[in-house]
Amino acid sequence: MRQGVERGNPAVSQQPGELTDGDYQSMSRQMAFSFMTCLFFFADVDQLSAEDVATADLAFFESKIRPVLVEHCHKCHGPTKQWAGLRLDSREAILKGGDHGPAIVPERPDASVLIRAVRHVDDKLKMPENGKLAESEIAALSRWIERGAVYPESSNRGVRELDSGHWAFQPITRPSIPAVKNPDWPQSPIDHFILTQLEQEQIPPAERADKRTLIRRVTFDLTGLPPTNAEIEDFLNDDQPAAFERVVDRLLESPAYGEHWGRHWLDVARYADSNGLDENIAHGNAWRYRDYVVTSINQDKPFDRFTLEQLAGDQLTFDSETQQHAQLIATGFLSIGPKVLAEVDQPKMRMDIVDEQIDAVGRVFLGLTLGCARCHDHKFDPISTADYYGLAGIFKSTRTMDSYIKVAKWHEHLLPSAAASALQTNFDADVMARKQAIEATVAAADKQAREGLAADATVPEKLDTLYPEGVKAELAKLREQLASLEKAGPDLPAAMGVTDDEVVDVAIHLRGDTQKLGDLVPRHTPPVITGPFAQEFLPNQSGRLQLAKWLVDPKHPLTARVFVNRVWRWRFGSGLVRTTDNFGLLGAAPSNPELLDWLAKRFIADGWSLKSLHRLMLTSSTYQQASIPHPRTFEHDPENRLLGWFPRRRLAAEEVRDALLAVSGQLDLVLYGSELKVKNRGYLFDHTSIDLTDYRSNRRSLYLPVIRNHVFDFFQLLDFPDPAIPTGDRASSTVAPQALLIMNSEFVMQSADKLAERLLAEPETASQRLATLVRTTHSREPSSDELHSHAQFIARVEQSLAASEPDPVKRTRQAWVVLCHTLLATNEFIYVK
Amino acid sequence: MIPESPPRMSRRAMLDRTAVGFGSLALASLVNGESSASELTKPLAESMPHFAPRAKRIIFLFMSGGPSQVDTFDPKPLLTRDDGKPLPFEKPRVQFNSTANLMKSPWQFKQYGECGLWVSDLFPHLAQRVDDLCMIHSVHGTNPAHGGAVMKLHTGSDNFVRPSIGSWVSYGLGTENQNLPAFVTICPTLAFGGINNWSSAFLPAVYQGTAFGDASIPSVSAQVKYIRNSRWPRAIQELQLEKLGQMNREDQSRSGPDASLEARINSFELAFRMQSELPKVEDLSGETESTQKLYGLDNPVTANFGRMCLKARRFAEAGVRFIQVTHNDNKVQWDQHSDLKVGHEKNAVEVDLPIAGLLTDLKARGLLEDTLIWWGGEFGRTPTAEGGGTGRDHNQEGFTMWLAGGGVKGGFRYGATDDYGYYAVENKVHIHDLHATILHILGLDHERLTYRYAGRDFRLTDVYGSIVHEILI
Repeated sequence: MRQGVERGNPAVSQQPGELTDGDYQSMSRQMAFSFMTCLFFFADVDQLSAEDVATADLAFFESKIRPVLVEHCHKCHGPTKQWAGLRLDSREAILKGGDHGPAIVPERPDASVLIRAVRHVDDKLKMPENGKLAESEIAALSRWIERGAVYPESSNRGVRELDSGHWAFQPITRPSIPAVKNPDWPQSPIDHFILTQLEQEQIPPAERADKRTLIRRVTFDLTGLPPTNAEIEDFLNDDQPAAFERVVDRLLESPAYGEHWGRHWLDVARYADSNGLDENIAHGNAWRYRDYVVTSINQDKPFDRFTLEQLAGDQLTFDSETQQHAQLIATGFLSIGPKVLAEVDQPKMRMDIVDEQIDAVGRVFLGLTLGCARCHDHKFDPISTADYYGLAGIFKSTRTMDSYIKVAKWHEHLLPSAAASALQTNFDADVMARKQAIEATVAAADKQAREGLAADATVPEKLDTLYPEGVKAELAKLREQLASLEKAGPDLPAAMGVTDDEVVDVAIHLRGDTQKLGDLVPRHTPPVITGPFAQEFLPNQSGRLQLAKWLVDPKHPLTARVFVNRVWRWRFGSGLVRTTDNFGLLGAAPSNPELLDWLAKRFIADGWSLKSLHRLMLTSSTYQQASIPHPRTFEHDPENRLLGWFPRRRLAAEEVRDALLAVSGQLDLVLYGSELKVKNRGYLFDHTSIDLTDYRSNRRSLYLPVIRNHVFDFFQLLDFPDPAIPTGDRASSTVAPQALLIMNSEFVMQSADKLAERLLAEPETASQRLATLVRTTHSREPSSDELHSHAQFIARVEQSLAASEPDPVKRTRQAWVVLCHTLLATNEFIYVK
Repeated sequence: MIPESPPRMSRRAMLDRTAVGFGSLALASLVNGESSASELTKPLAESMPHFAPRAKRIIFLFMSGGPSQVDTFDPKPLLTRDDGKPLPFEKPRVQFNSTANLMKSPWQFKQYGECGLWVSDLFPHLAQRVDDLCMIHSVHGTNPAHGGAVMKLHTGSDNFVRPSIGSWVSYGLGTENQNLPAFVTICPTLAFGGINNWSSAFLPAVYQGTAFGDASIPSVSAQVKYIRNSRWPRAIQELQLEKLGQMNREDQSRSGPDASLEARINSFELAFRMQSELPKVEDLSGETESTQKLYGLDNPVTANFGRMCLKARRFAEAGVRFIQVTHNDNKVQWDQHSDLKVGHEKNAVEVDLPIAGLLTDLKARGLLEDTLIWWGGEFGRTPTAEGGGTGRDHNQEGFTMWLAGGGVKGGFRYGATDDYGYYAVENKVHIHDLHATILHILGLDHERLTYRYAGRDFRLTDVYGSIVHEILI
C-alpha cells in the first residue's frame, strides 16, 4: 500500500499525468515543456494535432501563452478546478467562458474579459489573484488574441485508445491446464497453474501440512472457529481415502460456514447497524440483510442470483412469501451505505447517495472506482463523466429515501405476511377500542354535564369545560396514550431496501455540482466493457434489473473474475490480483492470469457455486502445503507471491473473540436476529458521547452490532474494516494497543477464568489438565518439556501470589487462570498455520 | 525495482531495528503481503519534513458546536446598529435552519494589547494574550450541519471517511518520542463522525489517533483503553510476559522465520513498557501549585478543561506531534440555537482561563516558538436570530479561528467578513486552505503529502487548498 513513500521523504512520486502546478513552477520552462509532452500522452488533456495550425502561431502559443496559462491560470481554471465556471485549457472552453461570459473575443483583446482581468481594469476582477502578470506576459496574451487565439485542438481519445487493451476489460480466456514436471504434486487443476510458476523459478513448494495443522486451518477457514478436540480426533482416526474431503463437506454443511463466509461478504457490502457519518442513527432492520447473506451462503445460492437479488430483488418474481421477503431484504445492499442525513442541501444529499451506490456497485462487483468520474472523466480508467451519469440515472430512478428533509429517512420495505397482517389487525383493533373508550367517556361526561345544568341555561358549545377535574385528567391521559400509540405504529416487520422511483435520465453535473448541469445522459452501462449483452433501459423501470443482468452475463469480463479473486484473497491472504477492489489501470496485474481466468470460467460453469469453488481450492496441494517454506523458496520469493508455502495468518478480530469464547466453553451458537438495543432510527451517539451499545454477549461476533464511527473497540483494535467502505482486503496489523487489549481486557481475562474453571472441574491430574489445555488452545499434543515448564510456571505464580492471597486453594486457581491467560495470548493461539 | 529481500534477523537485531513506539509496528504490509518485506522500517520514526518547518507540533483546541464569531472576536458595529432589522442581503442557498432578523451581540468588545485586536467580554483572560494571536476572520466551510462540518474540519471531507489531519501529520512527520503515540486526542466527541475524526481511514493503523477518554468522561478519569490491568499485580504480569516470550520463541523455532510473529513478540514488550510510562506523562501531581492554578485546576469551573490543556502541554513537551483537546460539554456545547447569552458565557468561562494559561505556560517554557496552537469550532454562527431571538444558527459562510505560536504572526488579523459578519468577503480562507497552511507550518507540502489507496493518490486537501502565506512570519 505504501507506494512511493520513503521514510525521510514523505513526498510521494506522482503518477504520470498528475503534474501539478507546483511541479510546473518548480521546473524550468524547458523541463516543463518536455514534461507536458508526457502529459499529453498519458492524461486526457490536450493532445497536439497541429496540421491546421500555422507553425508560427503554434510556436508562439507554446512558448509564450501556454506557460502563462499553466503557471498562472490552470490551477483555478483547469481540469481540477473551474472557479467562476471557467476553464482556460482549451480554445473551446475559453470561448465558452464562465460566469463573466466568454473569456476572450478572438482578434479583439480590448473586448476580452481575460485581458481586462489581467490588466486589473476592474476592481472586482483582478487576475491572477496572487499578483499581476508581467507586462510582457500581458502583451503576449493580447497579441495572441489579436492573432485569433490559436489553441491546439484537444482530444480525449488518447486515453480511451490506450485503455482498450487493459487485461481486465478483455473477455475471460479459457486457458488449458499446463503440464508440470512433477506430476505427483498436483491434486487439482489449480496446482498445475501454481506449480508451473514455481518450476519456472526452480523453487520447490512446501511439504504437505500435517493433519492437525490442516484441520485447524480448514476449520477456521470455513467456519471462523477452532476445531473441537473431538473433531481433531475423528480426523486423525480417519485413515480412509478422502478423509479431508469429508471434513470439508461437514464444515460446508454447518451453519457456522454461512456465518463466517457471510461475514466476508458483509465486509465488501459495507454492512453496518448504524448510519455513521453525521447522524449516527440505528439501522434497526439491517440485521435482516445480514441474515439474508448468511442464509444465502449456507444455501449456496448461485452468485449470479445473489447479485440479481441484491441489486434488483424487488423486481424479481417469487414462489413463496419467504422468497419474496428474502428478495426485498436483499436490496438492503443498496441502502445500507453511510449517508449524510442532515445534509441541508437536499439535491446534494440525493446525488451523494447515488454516488455512494455507484461507488459500492463499482468496487464490489466490477472492481472499479467509478466514483472518480462524478466530477471529471476518470483519470486512469476509461470511464467518462457521461458513463458515470449513465449509471447515476439508474440510481436516481431508484427510491432509496422516503424523505430528504433532515434528518432524512431511508425507505423500508414492509414484509407482508400473515403475522404482519395479524399485527396490523391487532393494532387497528387496539386503536379502535381506545377511540371508543374515549368516546364513551365523553358521552357519559356530556350527559352528566347536561344534567347538571339548570333547565333554562343555554347549553355551551363545548361541554368539556363543565367536566369534573378527574374526568378531564382521565380523558387527557387516554388521548395522550392513543396519540403515542398511533405515532409509534404497529412496528410491522420491515427491511431497509430500495424500490423504483420516477424514472429519469440524469444530466452531467459539472464538477459534480448539482446546480451546474450539462448534457442529459441516457441511462447506460460503461461502453468500455464489451461482451455482455447490451441491455435496453426502459422508460418505466429504473434499470437496476438490467444493470444486474448485465453484470452476471457470463460474457462479462469482470464480475466472475472479481469474485473468484475475492475468494482467493479470503483464503490465501492476498488475491491473485492483489488490489481486490480495483481491477482498473491502477490496480495490480494478476500474479497468475491464467489461473484467474481458469477459475472464473470454472466458477461460471459450475453454476456460480461458491461451495464448489471451495472444494476445488481446498482439495488442492497448494492449499494443503505446510506454512514452512523451503529455504530456497523463501530466499527467492520472500513475499510468497507464487504461493510456495501456505501463508500463515493472524486470526481476524471476530475469530479471536469467537475462539476465546469457544475454548473457554462460553460460545452461544444461537443463529440469526438482532443484538442491537437501540430502536430503529434511534441515536447511537449524540452530543453526550454516551455509548448506548452493549457488547456483553456470548454470541458469535457476527451478531454483535456494527456501529459506524465507533466500532466495538475489541474489533477495531484487531483491524475490523471501516464499515463505511467496501473492503475486500482487510488489513492485519500488529500494534502495541492490541497487546494491551490481550493483556488487560476484562473479556480476555474472563475467558481465562472460564477456561481454568473447565479444566479444574475435570477429575484429572495436573499433568492431564495441562495437556488438555494445550490441546484446547493450540490444537496439538504438548511435549513433556512443555508440560514441565507449565507446571513450574504455576508454581512460580503461586509463590508470587503468596503475599496477596492467603488461601492456597484460591491461589492455585488464580495461578491456573494466569497460565490460561498467557496461553490465550500466544502467537500459536492467535495465528493459523 | 525489486527490493532486496531482508536478511534473516535475530529477535535482538529486529528489536534494535524496530525499536518502535506506542502504536507502532504496523506490519500490515508484511502480513497481507501488500508491500515488500524491505519496508520493515520504523513507520513512526521521526522523519524529515518537505522543507524547514516553523512548528514541530500542534495543539488543536476544538470548540465543538460552533462558537459565534460576532460574539467573540469579530465585532460588527452595524450589527449593533441594525439590531432587529432584516439582513440587507440574501442568506445562503443552503441554511441549516431558517433565521429571523439581525441580532446584536449581548457582549461588549474592547481592544487589547499592543496590536489592538478586538475581543469580547467573553474572553477576559485570553484578551491579555492577543499579541500572540493570529486571527483569521474569513474562514469558511461547505457544510452547515455539525456532522458534515466536524468531519470536514478534521478530515477535509464531509461525505467520505478520510484520514484525520492528525493522521496525515503523523504519517508525514512520525513522532519525536517512540514511547508515545504521535497523535493524541483528549476527550473527543463520539458524535458527528465520532472516531472517524481521529482515525487513519486508509492510512496504516499506526497513524490513528489515540483517544484519552471521550466527551462523556471527565478529563480526570480519561485514559487510554486497556492501559491498566485491574487484576494482576505487576510481578505477575512480568512473569506472564516472560512466559509468553518463551512460548512464542519456542513456537517460532518450530515454524521458521516470520516477521509478523517477531513483531507480535515485540509489541507485548512495548505495551508493557508503555503501560508504566504513559501514566507518568499524564501525572499532573509533579506540577507546581502555581502552574496548576495557571490552568485553573483550583476552580471546579475551569478544572476539567484546564486539566486537558495541562496534559496537552505535557504531551507537547514529551514529543507528541498532534494533540487535540476538545471542549464539548455533555449538555451545552457551543451550539446556542437559543439562550446564546447563558450558553456561550458558560462555555467561555470554562475555556478562557485555561487557554490563556496554556499560552502563558508554553511561552514561559520556550515551547510556543515551535508549537502551533489552533483554536476554533466546526463553523460560526449567524448574525441573524433564531430561537425566538435568543440564539443563532450554524454559519459555515464566514467565521473566526485563531492560530498562535509556531511561526504565525502574533497580534495579527487576516481576512474579514461583511459588515454584519455573515459571509467571509476579504481574503477568504476555506477549511482546505487552512489545512494546507497548517501542513505548511509543520513543514509539509499539502500537494506532496499523498497516499495511494484504491488506485489513486489521496491528500488531505483533495484537489484544493492554497497556503495563506500572509499570516506567516
